[in-house]
Amino acid sequence: MVKASTRRNFPVEGWFFIAPLLVLLAVFILYPVVMNLYYGFTAWKGFGQEQWIGIDNYVKMFSDSKFWTSIANTGILLFFIPVSTAVTLVVATILRDGLPGWTLFRTLLYIPNLLGVVIIGTAFNLILRDAGPINTFLTSNFGISVPWLTSPVYALLGTGFISIVWSPLGFGIIYFLAAMSNIDHSLYEAAAIDGASPWATFRHITIPSIRFAIEFWVVMSFINVFARMFGFIYVFSRGGPGFSTFTLEYGIYELAFNKFDPSYSSAWSTVLFVFCAFISIAQIRLMKRKEA
Amino acid sequence: MIRSRLSMIPNYAVLVLMTLIAIIPLLFVLGSSLKTPTEYALDPGLIPWHATLENYLWAFGNGGILHYLSNSLIVVPFGLVLYLAVCVSAGFAFGKLEFRFRLGVFLGVLFLMIFPQMLLVMQMFKLMTMFGLTNSFLGLVLAWVAYFSPFGTYIMTTYFSSVPSEIMESARMDGCGSLRMLLSIMTPIAAPMIGTISIIGLLTMWNELPFSLLLLQDNSLRTMTLAVAMIQGEYGLNTPSLAAILMLTAIVPIVIFLFFQKFVTQGATAGALKG
Repeated sequence: MVKASTRRNFPVEGWFFIAPLLVLLAVFILYPVVMNLYYGFTAWKGFGQEQWIGIDNYVKMFSDSKFWTSIANTGILLFFIPVSTAVTLVVATILRDGLPGWTLFRTLLYIPNLLGVVIIGTAFNLILRDAGPINTFLTSNFGISVPWLTSPVYALLGTGFISIVWSPLGFGIIYFLAAMSNIDHSLYEAAAIDGASPWATFRHITIPSIRFAIEFWVVMSFINVFARMFGFIYVFSRGGPGFSTFTLEYGIYELAFNKFDPSYSSAWSTVLFVFCAFISIAQIRLMKRKEA
Repeated sequence: MIRSRLSMIPNYAVLVLMTLIAIIPLLFVLGSSLKTPTEYALDPGLIPWHATLENYLWAFGNGGILHYLSNSLIVVPFGLVLYLAVCVSAGFAFGKLEFRFRLGVFLGVLFLMIFPQMLLVMQMFKLMTMFGLTNSFLGLVLAWVAYFSPFGTYIMTTYFSSVPSEIMESARMDGCGSLRMLLSIMTPIAAPMIGTISIIGLLTMWNELPFSLLLLQDNSLRTMTLAVAMIQGEYGLNTPSLAAILMLTAIVPIVIFLFFQKFVTQGATAGALKG
């Protein structure tokens, strides 16, 4: 990303060109992040003067069962990452064979990525309702009805499947296909001559060759789980039923804007900040390794 | 590789199954949007046997969707222009100019790329109130551009740093300043990548929820996406009407995709693979 050697010096101009970005980031990203860390140690109702109260918010948080529920829910959602990675890799590998019509499949599979979380969350809410198509079908044919949205377990599993496996699939396919297109074709020819099975070829050639892309994909999925779920949960389940789809992100929203306890929500934000900082550093390390 | 036709069958089966799973939700929304509430209640399946446009007529009439649509059509292009200016300019500096702390600042920008919007939005709301920018499109646009620019900047930086420096060197010889270099030499060269980040920016802003939700409290300012999220909770709206509104929200990204598919697929890989 950055090679110093052939450049001449433009000490002032460089800063001039990045100034708009830096001002926006300083004001609207960095300042909120830093102030959140501070407000976590205060009592503040959203207006007026905040009061320093030390670690009270953190003491309250660590004995708050909703906090641990949100951590546990996030932990369960993480289990969808290997599922998503495996499914995406398998579909990309099939497409890579170039079956007749494969580009049409690639295009259609990409459609969920175009739809925002609000459209996806609302659509699935309609589909999974008791009066929705799936339960109507199950009731009229088998006399059963599955509580997709009203059972805590199904709601959380549905959230994981839809937003971690279903929705990024098309993006992942294109991403892995691009990585696979860089694999030296002679490796596959050699494997074919040796009579290697499709599985052995996949396991010993494809996977090691695109290891880097897989690592990147996993980091992106972590970002998805920790930092990009709010919109979906807001329209799909509002964190419920009960607190079954409550995540840290949703908890911060709930505490700050529905329970009107913004300084307590800042303590939650600090925990989320720590998780995200680790993910961010992991991502930067991958980016730097790619450039090396 | 020589393969028998028979061995293709399982592969096709997997592809067809995955494709159905991917597109059926959208087909369901489309089908429902063409039914009357009565037909939907009797048969919520995919196919509208007695297709009607009444839900769309309602959406544009009493549903007031035209208003939200026009809000989005104002605020998204506004945001996009600012986003492009910020990303292209910063990407050019990080990728092609030499200045002190460049690497450190660049890594700082990357570090700020992933933090969830919920982490920022409360303090941001406080700031916007101070600046008088709540319930204003300008406030929303500034928040969007600040939040989405690090990724666009990263893509532009990797792109610009792959442009051969000789092009710049010879222009420098002719006395070309950095600003003119950016506007008349680098921007045309980078046009395809600018197209890619335009699509990324457009889709993310069109579909954005958290900032719109908390910065636009005034109902008349709602974007299309925000309107969908709120309408669902506010009135016990019947499913076909809601489906029609969903289709109208989804149609913009889908049309963009159909016209600019190359840019979209390029965008999927630009951030992570191109060097």
